Amino acid sequence: MPKLRSLVHGLCALFRKEESERELQDELHSYVEASAAEKVRAGMSEDEARRAARLELGSAETIKEEVRSVGWENWLETCGQDVRYALRTLRKSPGFTIIAVLTLALGIGANAALFSVVNTVLLQPLPFKNPSRLMMLYEGLPQVGSPKIPFSTPDFTMVRRSQKSFESVGAVQDKEFELSGQGEPDRVIGARVSASIFPMLGVAPVLGRFFRPEEDAPGQNVAVLSYGLWQRRYGGRPGIVGETIDLDRQAYTVIGVMPKHFVLPLPGPPANFLPAALWVPMAFTSAELQGWGLRYDLSILARLRRGVTLQQARSEGEALGTAIEAQYPQNILKDFYGARLVLPVFPWREEVTGPVRPLLLVLMVAVGLVLLIACANVATLLVSRAAARQHEIALRRALGATRSRLLRQLLTESLLLALLGGGLGLLLAFWGKNMLLALAPSEIPLPQNAGFSGGALLFVLGASCLTALLFGLAPAWHTAGAGLRQSLEEAGRSRATSRTHHGLQNAFVAIEFGLSLVLLIGAGLLIRSFGKLLNTDLGFQPDHVLAMEVPLPATAYPQASQIRNLYQRLAEEVPSLPGVKAAGMADDLPLLAAVFHTLEIEGRPQVGKPPAIAETWVLGNYFQTMRIPLVAGRLFTSQDVENSPPVVIISQGMAKEYWPGQDPIGKRLRHEENQPWMTVVGVVGDINDGPVNRPRQPHIYTPFLQLSDALTAENVIGVARSMNLAVRTQSDPASMSSEVVAQIHSLDPDVAVANITTMPRVISSSLAGPRFNASLLSLFAGFALFLSAIGIYGVLAFAVTQRRHEIGIRMALGAQPRHVLGFVLAWGTRLARTGAVFGIVAALALTRLMKGLLYGVAATDPITFAGVTLLLLGVALLASFIPARRATRVDPMIALRCE
Amino acid sequence: MPGKSKELVQGTLDMLILKTLALEPLHGYGIGLRIQQISRGVFTVNPGSLFPAFRRLERQGLIKADWRASENNRRAKYYALTEAGRKKLKYETREWQAQTRAIARILAASPGEL
Repeated sequence: MPKLRSLVHGLCALFRKEESERELQDELHSYVEASAAEKVRAGMSEDEARRAARLELGSAETIKEEVRSVGWENWLETCGQDVRYALRTLRKSPGFTIIAVLTLALGIGANAALFSVVNTVLLQPLPFKNPSRLMMLYEGLPQVGSPKIPFSTPDFTMVRRSQKSFESVGAVQDKEFELSGQGEPDRVIGARVSASIFPMLGVAPVLGRFFRPEEDAPGQNVAVLSYGLWQRRYGGRPGIVGETIDLDRQAYTVIGVMPKHFVLPLPGPPANFLPAALWVPMAFTSAELQGWGLRYDLSILARLRRGVTLQQARSEGEALGTAIEAQYPQNILKDFYGARLVLPVFPWREEVTGPVRPLLLVLMVAVGLVLLIACANVATLLVSRAAARQHEIALRRALGATRSRLLRQLLTESLLLALLGGGLGLLLAFWGKNMLLALAPSEIPLPQNAGFSGGALLFVLGASCLTALLFGLAPAWHTAGAGLRQSLEEAGRSRATSRTHHGLQNAFVAIEFGLSLVLLIGAGLLIRSFGKLLNTDLGFQPDHVLAMEVPLPATAYPQASQIRNLYQRLAEEVPSLPGVKAAGMADDLPLLAAVFHTLEIEGRPQVGKPPAIAETWVLGNYFQTMRIPLVAGRLFTSQDVENSPPVVIISQGMAKEYWPGQDPIGKRLRHEENQPWMTVVGVVGDINDGPVNRPRQPHIYTPFLQLSDALTAENVIGVARSMNLAVRTQSDPASMSSEVVAQIHSLDPDVAVANITTMPRVISSSLAGPRFNASLLSLFAGFALFLSAIGIYGVLAFAVTQRRHEIGIRMALGAQPRHVLGFVLAWGTRLARTGAVFGIVAALALTRLMKGLLYGVAATDPITFAGVTLLLLGVALLASFIPARRATRVDPMIALRCE
Repeated sequence: MPGKSKELVQGTLDMLILKTLALEPLHGYGIGLRIQQISRGVFTVNPGSLFPAFRRLERQGLIKADWRASENNRRAKYYALTEAGRKKLKYETREWQAQTRAIARILAASPGEL
């Protein structure tokens, strides 16, 4: 109630200011009259009484001021005055204002853009109902170094049956489909999901409905489309619900469409991370349900029951692991090599954000440094301005302005600058965020809904206020606090004023240089890593290689022989196309993670876990096409087929690891006990089978034609039904793609050829992450360098103007222009040197953060440190040169006369 | 005026104004004069602190003002106590008396007394 009254009164005073002032005036007047009347009554003359009464009252203006300052509205009013005054002074020096606002806008904008991404990726909860209770379950054999394994079907059904910690559990599995029926056949990434998944996530479809539990069974062909696919392929027609589409040449009924920003699975986890374009019921087949120890490729999502803690769920997971292990058939259990099976539980969000957290944190630190540098830059500008305004400030102090009042006014000016910068920064951020997302590699999850939320707006506002304090406080404190007499005296002579100002400015510029150096070193390290990645010898020759995937759906190719037949014909016919040098097929391409298989090596006792080795099935002249060199023995020939003795080609690394100092040719290995031995017939060079920054692994190659019928025709894993065709061309490989596709379609017009690409493009996309890191950090570093150069230029230019007198005397005493030049340049580089020392120390501490992002370069790489420091000193020298030149042109006579 | 007038103890001006107005509504000069008279000239009230105090008390809703003709037939702003002001005065008086009694006891304490 009193608050309300105060508010009402205050508002009245604000809006009826004149009336309130008049009333106060009247009241004071009546006071004087009453006082005079009293004095007359006491015996004074009228005139005397009036004078005495006035004297008694004192200064009416002071009283009025006191009365006015009682209400809160007065504070508001002086703020208004400060803002108006600040606007006026800023308008008076447009050059300063524009530079300061732009600098801050870039700093704040970059921060806001990155923050909006970080906010969505790291800080926002997952876009599902009550997301903090959503967990991911894995299987794990921690004792043999496999802490996180995706689930197998029988293990999942056991968990689903007996767990108590979760209110629902469900499985998700990537599955590629050939989508046809309406329009061109197309390959789409889809997912099989349990019927429980959609209700668990609590996202409603925009059209239609989800799967019913009874539809989660084989033979129930229903599908839910993603918004993107619905728009892209079906033009957003609402009538799509109820229509049939063909998936792998089988009819499925569309029953629903999900909303625009719904993504499932989410990227991040080690398996099943490809966002699906459509979802079908999981509908386990009986073979899958019986497939003990066969395939571990399900992602399990679960919603924690109310009142159950993560800790409780984890201990139940351990117990369930033991229970499942007890159910395992004995012959499979030996594959655990004595390790205990556990079921680790992780919050889903951790799984999603974990992989990108280090990168985003490094970028956030970098962009924060840019803002600090921008602040330091504006602070130096403010100090220069303060020196110019010293006279004004001294006068205002002499007239009775208190230090705090002046401080408030100067800070209002900074705040105004920062808010202007923040506003402009917001625009930049809006644009920059889209650029950021366009550049971002797919490793960063959820980019499509990195919206510009209220959080980002609040962030900009907060950042603006904070920066205003950061860059405004020191100069304002210094300016407002300057000793009264001293300032008035100093203000007369510009020379002496500069000493303290220079101290501040020098400190700011040195800090700026130090921070820039940190950024430049960070960027330098990433660039050097990226260079190393680019120049890595991949073990094959990627140029002129065209690659595409030729998937054969089980419905049209149920038999292994049909698959072999088509691929074999392809491998034979494509090389005879004009312009083709060689062609071959493989189940996976270099750089795109190979499938790992366990192996048993003859004559080598099984100790612990058998080696997991990358294996590629090849057909035709794959080695010649990729130009993977043959080191010993022979390559596969057309004689290595189904009924001929099984053979294998190994990589050099494999030979060195398992048969050191021996000739591996003729040695034998096999996948499992009951499978035939394969004889090593050749040794080829090592290649990078995974991402470029991963060390090379031992690798084996087996002839596709020697795969068993079961493996070849197998549907679920789908590897053998989806071989890659690699073609070495004479000219630009991309230009040959239509001829090659036509050749495939001449064998089967319905094959949906997928992922048509070239090997250089595969390399380039495998480097997208490092390239993104390097270019973004370089952008920030370049900006920082630019700001620092401006900073050092500004300080020196200001100092040269201020010290014209001193320079004039020196020249009058016989200093040559080159002496003056040297003197100013030395000054500039001294600042940069001080900054560099500070920067190197800071960088040594900070670059450790980015160890995980580096490849082939130490976080303390001396070459980067030295090179970047030299670059920075060079830029400082360059930026000092213009003011130095100006100093040499000082005419001693004019300079001396100026004083 | 006998004796040397003293500045008011910090924070007591509001209470004295309220007390003065509890007797009858008064204008600004009258309030100052009344305080001086009742204290027998011990306290003089400076207009520079009087007027801000009026504004403050008015804001708090403890006093209200209206323009009336004064005793010598001029217009003057008369302040009167509100209900809230009356309560506040009562409370402040009790507090003040409790404090002065306590202070008096401390000052009167003799050695050995606990």
